[in-house]
Amino acid sequence: MTPVSTQQHQGNPPTPRISLRAVTKDFQVRPAKDTPSGRVLRALEDITLDVAAGELLTLVGPSGSGKTTLLDILGGLSEPTTGEVLVDGRPVSGPGLDRGIVFQQYALFPWRTALANVAFGLEGPQFRRQGLGKEERLERAREYLALVGLGGFEERYPHELSGGMKQRVAIARSLAHEPGILLMDEPFAALDAQTREQLQDELLRIWSATGTTAVFITHGIEEAVYLGQRVAVLSSRPGRLKAIVDIDLGDRTIGAERDLRSTPEFVAYRHRLWELLHGEVASAQRAGHQKIQPDGTERAA
Amino acid sequence: MTTTPTIDSVPTTDAAAAPEDARVRNSDGAPARSDGAPDPAKPGRPAGKFLLSKVFRAVKVAVWRSAAIVLFLLAWELVPQFLLGEDTRVFLPPLHDVLLALRDAITTGELWEHLSASLTRSVAGFSIAVTAGITLGLALSWYRGLASFLTPLLELFRNTAALALLPVFVLLLGIGETSKITIVAYASFFPVLLNTIAGATTVDPLLIRAARSLGLSQLRLFQKVILPSAVPTIFTGIRMGGTASILVLIAAEMVGAKAGLGFQIVNAQSSFLIPQMYAGILTVSLLGLAVNVGLVRLEAHFSRWRTFAPTR
Ligand SMILES: Nc1ncnc2c1ncn2[C@@H]1O[C@H](COP(=O)(O)OP(=O)(O)OP(=O)(O)O)[C@@H](O)[C@H]1O
Ligand SMILES: [Mg+2]
Repeated sequence: MTPVSTQQHQGNPPTPRISLRAVTKDFQVRPAKDTPSGRVLRALEDITLDVAAGELLTLVGPSGSGKTTLLDILGGLSEPTTGEVLVDGRPVSGPGLDRGIVFQQYALFPWRTALANVAFGLEGPQFRRQGLGKEERLERAREYLALVGLGGFEERYPHELSGGMKQRVAIARSLAHEPGILLMDEPFAALDAQTREQLQDELLRIWSATGTTAVFITHGIEEAVYLGQRVAVLSSRPGRLKAIVDIDLGDRTIGAERDLRSTPEFVAYRHRLWELLHGEVASAQRAGHQKIQPDGTERAA
Repeated sequence: MTTTPTIDSVPTTDAAAAPEDARVRNSDGAPARSDGAPDPAKPGRPAGKFLLSKVFRAVKVAVWRSAAIVLFLLAWELVPQFLLGEDTRVFLPPLHDVLLALRDAITTGELWEHLSASLTRSVAGFSIAVTAGITLGLALSWYRGLASFLTPLLELFRNTAALALLPVFVLLLGIGETSKITIVAYASFFPVLLNTIAGATTVDPLLIRAARSLGLSQLRLFQKVILPSAVPTIFTGIRMGGTASILVLIAAEMVGAKAGLGFQIVNAQSSFLIPQMYAGILTVSLLGLAVNVGLVRLEAHFSRWRTFAPTR
């Protein structure tokens, strides 16, 4: 488990790992009864944001504020309408193994065992060229399953795993090809409170052990404060960057022992974010957006 | 917390990720799998009593499940003997007459002759249908333009009853094996084709996103995501095609053939060998049953992962 460092520019000022420049995203809405000609829906507007190498940035915003849209753009799964996305100073042209994505709905391949799911990203030609044979592949996948605490569950199929375990497999899968950047879309939203806290601590542990740059999307203010070094707040649709809040809570990897969530600093941060989001959530709801359910049922495709 | 715009309620569907809970799911979620993951928890129970009650339950289920068939066979045996008049009984002989005729057909090798003729034809036609159906189905799901071009025509063919085309096949291909194999292939081709297309075009978009995010090219996406996720649906088509192949073949053999179970039935009827005719019918229904059970097993085997997949 070598720390990933593909940082290329050591000079000053350091190139941000991820850089969003005036990103705007419009969707063409299919014609409906009330809008027969179809119209343009602006999901994101003028987002400019840098993420430094090794940083863990959390992104909160009301439902429909374009969080998933932003993650898709970062992952190269869709393109911004205007503006650009740079990774290590180079424009993103599509998905790549330098970025790993954890989806809210696990997205495991149900016909593959946990181990084979984790090995999935290692089967491409680029890894074969590196001389990664089948044995090495499975060995690496086994290591990452152990890293997320699922040693011994290699041969289980997704339907034989609980929600929390599935999400661990999904995290292991996105880590196994050792991406420098980890993009996570409400990965813990569907889990119960205890499992979520447990996975949050594990995520912090893995993040600090691997030195990954991470963007973590969440609905939870607490989660955003607990995980993030910075919290970016999106406004309701169209999503604009409303604020970025620096979080300074000391060494967060020992949060579990300290009950960080009840410290006065934590509560203050939480309240600050709550104030920032309060009005936005109300206006998002006026615009007809329901809050997302804990099982993620509301998600737009 | 009450005014916080977050949702922190605890869903009841997903248990905690403690490794223990996987055991629970495995033992109640996947009872039918003998080849599944090793189950760490097989607690020793008070053995003897438990086993006995299990056997008892199994016997009870077996008796109940076969009761209707046993009653039917009993009626077949008794009704002709005691309720039917002499002249009707000739056309509906009791079961034991039929079984005797069946035994004779087996010992003389006559049954095997007809069975193998039928099997050869249906296996040949069915194999052609499966190969062509899967190949064309995958090609059509890959080239969407071609699919939208061909689909109306395919719909037209599919909705033309295969047997209605038998005269055409006979005219074009003669009365020999070719026309029968062709009609079997025709009848089983469409279920395979349409299910292959359906399976390969209705892949969970989330899985495609996940695979793309892992850097898969279009071709590898097809090979590693679309194809495996279509396998259960394809096997459903294969099962439907297999059933269709037997049904259509028997009918085709009745119209024009010199061997085969369909021919045997019609031939026995016109020669007034009534028990022999019923023996043929019995063989056909057993064959159909065997083929169907086999294909259902096959389908279930390849759909294992889907049976318990979360419904989204
Ligand atoms: N493919 C699409 N076509 C049209 N509109 C889209 C598409 N994808 C997203 N949208 C719209 O863009 C807006 C932002 O969607 P997005 O999924 O990014 O929101 P989100 O912040 O992730 O919401 P949530 O918190 O509920 O997941 C929504 O109004 C949504 O309806
Ligand atoms: Mg979303």
